[in-house]
Amino acid sequence: MGKTIDIDRARAAKAKALTVFGDLVRVNGVGITRVGGGYGVKVNLSQHPPKGVRLPHEVDGVPVRVEYVGPITKRGLHHQKS
Amino acid sequence: MHLDSARELKTALVQKHEPFVRRALMAGYRVRAAGPAAGARTISELGIGACAVTSVDAVQRTLALGITRSGRNDFRLAVRIQNRAFEHGPHIEAIHKQAKGEVDIRYIGRVVKRVAPWTQTRRRPLQVGTSIGHFSITAGTLGCFVKTRQGGQVRILSNNHVLADENRGVKGDAVIQPGRFDHGRKGRDTIGALDRFVTLKKRGANAVDAALAALRQGMQFDAGMLKGIGKLTGAGGVLDEDAAVSKVGRTTEVTHGRVTAFELDHVIVGYDIGNLRFDDQIEIEGSGSGPFSQGGDSGSLIVNATRQGVALLFAGGDQGGSNGQGLTYANPIATVLDRLKIDLLY
Repeated sequence: MGKTIDIDRARAAKAKALTVFGDLVRVNGVGITRVGGGYGVKVNLSQHPPKGVRLPHEVDGVPVRVEYVGPITKRGLHHQKS
Repeated sequence: MHLDSARELKTALVQKHEPFVRRALMAGYRVRAAGPAAGARTISELGIGACAVTSVDAVQRTLALGITRSGRNDFRLAVRIQNRAFEHGPHIEAIHKQAKGEVDIRYIGRVVKRVAPWTQTRRRPLQVGTSIGHFSITAGTLGCFVKTRQGGQVRILSNNHVLADENRGVKGDAVIQPGRFDHGRKGRDTIGALDRFVTLKKRGANAVDAALAALRQGMQFDAGMLKGIGKLTGAGGVLDEDAAVSKVGRTTEVTHGRVTAFELDHVIVGYDIGNLRFDDQIEIEGSGSGPFSQGGDSGSLIVNATRQGVALLFAGGDQGGSNGQGLTYANPIATVLDRLKIDLLY
């Protein structure tokens, strides 16, 4: 069982995760989340990864949770101009 | 049967049963005008029970006729029964016989008009969580009431894309409640005017999507109450993952959720003016089987378990979340308040 990750370590890994994942897939958000009893990095994807692309499970020893979130839009109703 | 045959059958049946339907529809009028004796025959057919004459509906429920599809190119007659008294009566039997069994008969009972949720209606005094918008947009949500740090003036807080039409609005533009999509009209429903907003940047990272509207003189408002949630207790601090949150918004009304990520950078959000990047955002999923928000909820104030305002809802998607109903994105309220130099009113 690995050491519990504190929030500062997760923050440091967050910046690197954007670069690491950005080279492999279309990233739409990198943030902090809870993993086990400590913190980890959450990487949101706007597209499913291409076939054969293997995504890392951790960055600098910090666990990474990946989720496909699709496109994100403002939460207004569709704009109507007269 | 073919569509044309179904149409012919429907027309024939309407003509055949019209005298009865007309008699039935008008029975209520006759009963109300002259007492039960006036409509005795149809009263028994309609199954009107003993009740005050004045409580009998003037127009009575009978049968509705239409056409329904039974195969790719096959149709049949649709009969919708709106009154139990007809279910096993001679009229249904006659229709069944004339349609040679090619008929779909269902009891649908009383049909009532759809009433708009309270969040989409005109509210005076103004209420948190209701439909609002710059006169040229569809509708968003009235987030909450705030006070300017300099001068202590009362303002409405919502998103830039709700009150300022994505930077296109100018100070003094009419803000209406309800929003235009909810039949709000400039003039009659003008409740204030655009005051100021944080410009949405096309380059670099945005921190907030926020704007303020000034209230029209004499406009009454209920500052602290989030209907269905409770009274606002102030502004909260930093949100951690798994924190329970709630909001009341124009479209999905009261919903509950939990924070799934925070300090989220590089969130790309689609606007009319293009894709914009946001840093340091909060991500939320809905509790239960529904989403935390949908289109029209933009601008909602998000509160924590102790009803402190913690975030301003502005974006979302239909994918992701543990219930598969999508994720919602919000600006931390502390950043919004600092950027606009305001405090929550409660």
